Amino acid sequence: FIALHAGILQSLFLCHGGPCPCSTVSAPLRLSSGPLALRAAVVPAAPLHRALSFYSADRRTRCVNRFPSLDVLCRQYGHLPPLTLESIEERVLYVLKLYDKINPEKLQATSHFMKDLGLDSLDQVEIIMAMEDEFGFEIPDGEAEKLMTPDEIVQYIADKKDIYE
Amino acid sequence: MGVSRLPSAALTFKQFLQRQKVLGIYRNMLRTIRQVPDKTDRKYLSEWARDEFKRNKNATEQDAVRMMVTQANKHLEELQGSLALAKS
Repeated sequence: FIALHAGILQSLFLCHGGPCPCSTVSAPLRLSSGPLALRAAVVPAAPLHRALSFYSADRRTRCVNRFPSLDVLCRQYGHLPPLTLESIEERVLYVLKLYDKINPEKLQATSHFMKDLGLDSLDQVEIIMAMEDEFGFEIPDGEAEKLMTPDEIVQYIADKKDIYE
Repeated sequence: MGVSRLPSAALTFKQFLQRQKVLGIYRNMLRTIRQVPDKTDRKYLSEWARDEFKRNKNATEQDAVRMMVTQANKHLEELQGSLALAKS
């Protein structure tokens, strides 16, 4: 039974990217995602699965105690201040002001990139790419070419991020 | 009959499609360049792409534009190829 157990553990390591040389630190991290998949696979073998989850839990707690820095490493989700229409507009205008072909004095929220600011379609593509960089998501081509004023960009981003008045 | 409501400067359908194609390539190019790890390389490459596209932005001849599109596609493939190599 123990041999079988060890075999399963080994295959667990294998399917998570090879057997790991440093079993103390990386093993629990790999294991923590393992039992879930395993549970799905070996539901009928209840005793085995209980033994295994006990094993991994034991392993995990021991490890965390031994490495107090580990739980700091574990999970940290990025947290940004929530977007509002005003902050989006501010950021959009800021990006546009930094763009070297736009005269910051002429720039208004309603000014058309081509008609009012004298840019061409290549510049418009660059502006949309800069917006993607700034807000961290991709704008599909079909929609990107319709965005012609700062206002439209703000509205589009707000729609995508579910922000309303 | 037959009087078009379009302004005379409007593009024909073919020209319009070609223009979309060029813009698509430009967008793809910039997206690819964005993955370049080194910052100075990235800057250099995006300036190169921009200059190259701007240099020919007044080209109107269909065949000339088509040739440039082919050339740009070749450059793009080359860039993507070397990026994939650099990553592996």
